[in-house]
Amino acid sequence: MGDLATSLRRGTLEFCVLAMVELEDRYGTEIVRRLGEEPGLAASEGTIYPLLSRLRRVGWLDSKWAESPSGPPRRYYGLTAAGRAALEHFRTEWVSFRQTVDRLVGTGEAV
Amino acid sequence: MRTQHTDVVAEYLREVDLRLAGLPVLQRRELLADLAAHIENERADRHLRGEAELIEVLERLGSPEVVARAAYEEAGPLPPVAQPPLPPPPPMVKERAPWVLPVVGAGAILLVIMLAACFGFFAFARSEQSPPPAPISVTPERATELPTPAFTR
Repeated sequence: MGDLATSLRRGTLEFCVLAMVELEDRYGTEIVRRLGEEPGLAASEGTIYPLLSRLRRVGWLDSKWAESPSGPPRRYYGLTAAGRAALEHFRTEWVSFRQTVDRLVGTGEAV
Repeated sequence: MRTQHTDVVAEYLREVDLRLAGLPVLQRRELLADLAAHIENERADRHLRGEAELIEVLERLGSPEVVARAAYEEAGPLPPVAQPPLPPPPPMVKERAPWVLPVVGAGAILLVIMLAACFGFFAFARSEQSPPPAPISVTPERATELPTPAFTR
């Protein structure tokens, strides 16, 4: 079961991250907390930081450190134009992919 | 009290760092800074007190092994620098430039061939041009030898 969750997460989790910062910049801990609340998305919160690093390196996210009113500086992440395009592309691909899998596996909504 | 908490955090970060030796140095520093900031944010935002709560934060982050494995997976193919270093060459070779041995060896072989060729050529030329000068050298020998029998007589 753990392996299946890992396989399903691979290739989709990064778009969940992109979607989280689509409308407003968020800081790392905020993103990590939010994903940690979802069952089966990020069992180990620490693994999100390497993911954020990669998304920044490929140019889908940018980041900047900012002072916090109540504590240490926060690193805010935002979507770049390339990241926005990648997210849009994923959305169309995902809908068609999900429909295909639902049809074949029999998990679609009752018709 | 506070130093104790910091010790738990410092130990965790050190354990992660130990497992990141194969990563590019900037990615390694970035991850450690992100983790440290995360822990500090959790402490400040959730008003954490006590080591137990802090350990809970660390447990949610995941074990150093799990975090490091994710770091390697997300790093993608690493440059050859990350591969294990080659064993050091033996000191004899290390002190010389790498081209010295082959060049000296080739030079020595060439020298032997040239010497052999020269020797062979001269020997051949001498045997062609002049017959052995044996009779000339014999004469003075005989001249010096001649008086000896005279004395014995």
